[in-house]
Amino acid sequence: MKDRTVLHIEDNEYNRKIVRQLLSRTTYRLLEAADGEEGLAVAQRELPDLILMDVQLPKLSGLDATRLLRADPRTANIPLVVVTSFALSGDDRRAMDAGASAYLAKPYSPRDLMALIHRFLPDN
Amino acid sequence: MPRTSAAERTPPPVVALLASPLGALVRAVARIRASVHVKLLAGFLLITLLFIAMTAVSLRTVAETARQTNLLDEAHERVGWSRQIEHALAMQMHFTAMALLAQAEDSVSLILRENNRFNDTLARLETAAPPEERALIQVIRGGQEDAMATVADIANAVRDRRLADAMTALQTRQVPTYRRIEEQVSQLVAAEETRMASLRRSIAASHTQSLRLMAGFAVVSVVVALLGGFVISWSFILPVREAHGFLSEVAEGRFGGTIVVPNRDEFGALAERMNWMSRELRRFDDEQRVAAETLRSLNDRLALASRAKSEFLANMSHELRTPLNAILGFTEIMLDELYGEVPPALREPLVDIQINGRHLLRLINDVLDLSKIEAGRLELGVGEYSVQEIVEVAHASLKSLALEKGLAFNLRVAPDIPTAWGDGRRITQCLLNLVGNALKFTRQGRVDIDVHLDGEWLVYRVSDTGIGIPKDEVENIFAEFRQVDTTITREYGGTGLGLSITKRLVEMHGGRIGVESELGKGSTFFFTVPLRTDGGRA
Repeated sequence: MKDRTVLHIEDNEYNRKIVRQLLSRTTYRLLEAADGEEGLAVAQRELPDLILMDVQLPKLSGLDATRLLRADPRTANIPLVVVTSFALSGDDRRAMDAGASAYLAKPYSPRDLMALIHRFLPDN
Repeated sequence: MPRTSAAERTPPPVVALLASPLGALVRAVARIRASVHVKLLAGFLLITLLFIAMTAVSLRTVAETARQTNLLDEAHERVGWSRQIEHALAMQMHFTAMALLAQAEDSVSLILRENNRFNDTLARLETAAPPEERALIQVIRGGQEDAMATVADIANAVRDRRLADAMTALQTRQVPTYRRIEEQVSQLVAAEETRMASLRRSIAASHTQSLRLMAGFAVVSVVVALLGGFVISWSFILPVREAHGFLSEVAEGRFGGTIVVPNRDEFGALAERMNWMSRELRRFDDEQRVAAETLRSLNDRLALASRAKSEFLANMSHELRTPLNAILGFTEIMLDELYGEVPPALREPLVDIQINGRHLLRLINDVLDLSKIEAGRLELGVGEYSVQEIVEVAHASLKSLALEKGLAFNLRVAPDIPTAWGDGRRITQCLLNLVGNALKFTRQGRVDIDVHLDGEWLVYRVSDTGIGIPKDEVENIFAEFRQVDTTITREYGGTGLGLSITKRLVEMHGGRIGVESELGKGSTFFFTVPLRTDGGRA
């Protein structure tokens, strides 16, 4: 079975590095994008199995990118986790309204993130 | 000018009078430069003078009537005398005839006696008679002298026994003379009676005239007194009415109006003071308006600044969270040995980084919460929630801390609590704050959570056996950045914002928060929220 692909859209290099480190010991293939436009393009080109989307992104916000992906029939059904800025500020509700499959409040525990990835992409 | 209220109360006749030349007189009296006291005195003096004049006129009338009555009396007396003269004349005639018949000489003395009486009376009459009658009296006296001469001739003839001569004298001289005198006296009497009649008429006329005069005077006095009263009183009422309208304006908050009165008395002075007051009020009002405007714009700017501050805090909090995510994330994956085995000497500092990183995160969250609450931009996300569930969540998240410190940590939720309506996550936050504090400030003993229903109110209680709060600090415990003292902050950590945020969140739910505490024994924090709340704004 083909390795499953995870697309991580995040502008902060260090946060990308954490996910890179987390997934380095797994069979998941990691794709990265540093802004909303790039993330949208990679998603539509590569059609990943899971998208991790930060809320605050340059060029195109995470919520707008989510809406565009949900509007595209090719990407409409890809599981998408929005990494919100602050759970209590209402970002979580906005993320779900935009079409996210789940949300994760930042700062997140890497363990929680891995648990979420496993939920959407169970191990073989 | 809205002075209608005062004008409406003025009776229409007064309005008409004030529009007439009398109104001009009223204003003229008002313009007189004299005090109210002097004006009133002048008014009373006018009335008094009218009474004095009336008394003088009536006295004059009485005197005139007395004089005429006196004249009448005199004329009456003169008529009496005239009658006596007639009588004396008749007696003379009688005695002359007697002398002739009886041929008695002593009759002559009787005639002389009557003659004397005649002359005496005539003399009295002459003295009393008005000048125009004196001529007639002289004629009568002349006649009488003729008659006396004839009487003497007759007496001589009788003494000489010349009876025929005596008779002839009597008939040809004496009788005509007496007739003439009689006629003249009658004329006198008639003249006096005419005079008396005229006097009587004159008295009656002057009586009527004096009555009319008195009545006229009375009417004029009343009219003058009424007019005087009207003029003087309205010269006072006009400024008072003006002042009434003016004060109504002031009372309605319209300052700066001017009152115009013709008065140059105390009312004029009062009006000047009122105008001064009005100007001052206007000035104060303007100043106050300017101040209020300044305050308003300042307030707007403050609100803007406050908004900017909140936005800054929100952005800042997000910007802080991103590197914190990296710090906490790297620490965790290092501790999870994703980078390989962690040497035992490094494990403790890594855990310290993790603990401090989490503390920093709580601080950031609290600051953001408070800034949102203060900016009024925090909304409750109301919905159904299970009290049992949120208490269990709070218990579960802090259980390990209690365990670490060796504290008993129990919860008791009344079984009869139905599903509640409100912001469950915010209530959880409140509960976490209170329980977190309780665990933080308790070294040994226990921390308990108790929730029960009191009517329509949910009562959450968190009790501990911790250090307690001094009495004088209890009031301030819910204020921002307030911990009992700064050493506590260092020893126990915390932002000092948790209780303040909890209080605001509870109040947003329509509830209240309180504490019972005994220093050294422990504290019980409790808050109440309605079982069902619509949620409001901070």
